[in-house]
Amino acid sequence: MPGVEFGLEIETKDAYRVRLPNFEGPLDLLCFLIKKQELNIYDIPIALITKQYLEYIQLMQELNLEVAGEFILMAATLIQIKVKMLLPRGPEEEEEEEDPRAALVQKLLEYQRYKEVAESLAGLEERRSRIFQRSYYEWEKPYQEKEWVLKDMSLYDLLAAFKAVLDHMPKVSYHEVAPIPVTIEEQIDFVMKQLEGKEYVLFHDLIREIRERVRMVVTFLAILELIKNHQILVRQATVFGEIWISKR
Amino acid sequence: MEMEQLKQVVEVLIFASDIPITVEQIRNLVEEAKSEEIQNAIEILNQEYRQTQRTFQIVRMGGGFQIVTHENFAPWVKKLFQGRLKTKLSQAALETLSVIAFRQPVSKTEIEAIRGVNCDGVIRTLLERKLITIGGRAQGPGRPLLYKTTPEFLQYFGINDISELPRPKEIEELFKEEQLQEPNVSMDATQ
Repeated sequence: MPGVEFGLEIETKDAYRVRLPNFEGPLDLLCFLIKKQELNIYDIPIALITKQYLEYIQLMQELNLEVAGEFILMAATLIQIKVKMLLPRGPEEEEEEEDPRAALVQKLLEYQRYKEVAESLAGLEERRSRIFQRSYYEWEKPYQEKEWVLKDMSLYDLLAAFKAVLDHMPKVSYHEVAPIPVTIEEQIDFVMKQLEGKEYVLFHDLIREIRERVRMVVTFLAILELIKNHQILVRQATVFGEIWISKR
Repeated sequence: MEMEQLKQVVEVLIFASDIPITVEQIRNLVEEAKSEEIQNAIEILNQEYRQTQRTFQIVRMGGGFQIVTHENFAPWVKKLFQGRLKTKLSQAALETLSVIAFRQPVSKTEIEAIRGVNCDGVIRTLLERKLITIGGRAQGPGRPLLYKTTPEFLQYFGINDISELPRPKEIEELFKEEQLQEPNVSMDATQ
């Protein structure tokens, strides 16, 4: 059975880009398959169509496109119709039983009808877009009297207005509190390490490499801790002057 | 009122109005004028515009008359409004609109049954663009909202009434007609 060309375009120039013709839904896809192969809509070769339909779905999946539920549902419907057609029918039933495809054909015909109307709407839209009426711009609109405020309003306008109000409500602001990524113990170790083999260290030099405010504060706390524990001596020549740190 | 003066009054009213103005409205403003006389005046105005090669014309859209630019000058006017022109409707939007136009008032479920796909997003877009509106609720379970087209819909597609929408079979004829059409007899004539 021949596969059908979906008009798949694969470009490999700049990036791997694949374009799959976009169908509005399962009915659109079925109409495409029927039209493309000039099949009789009243006598659809269901096996062929089902196969091609599933091929398309598979293609979508291979391209990692999300296959909408509607497409899957239609696949199931097609398979169900196919099965029904394969089942032998009893001699009495033969006359009464409806063609299993009938409901689907009805849907397709109806969809096609509206699809055609949509095409003609597009034509009207195109034609209309070429002529322009005189219109006041927003800023030229005359002041409207109060009792006219609700003129031409629909429920939807009210909902939109309500949503706008909600959107403009002052947002509750949050202050995010991040855990301090440093401990006093760590900074005690750090200070003691800096003092190793040295007579003294300037506080200024100690914190020179430190970028975060939190870490500076914690380092200062570490120094206070060390003073309390009599592990270091801290001297200052003048108020606000350099802090000299040395081991005890 | 003399025809010559009526013609001028009709012209100024159509020119000054920012929305389509109906014959009825004009008649309320110009007391002694009859509907046929007003129609006639518009007809003559359009003839004069054509004869003197004006760049505008009077057309009937959405049930009323409007002065619009001639389509031959679309390239320039489009440039003027660049950035303010609305984007064309998507295929999904057009399909949904055609269902609503012929089935109104219609529920979302019915639209979805015909199109075979979910229509939430499309309906929202059409509501935002005011091409459709809510036209009540159905009697059935859940009393779903019913949608219908708006006067803006007629305006947007340049028609006066839903009945002017081409039925599927008439489409081909319409396109043939359009090709044969003379450039200055666009849209609806003045009747």
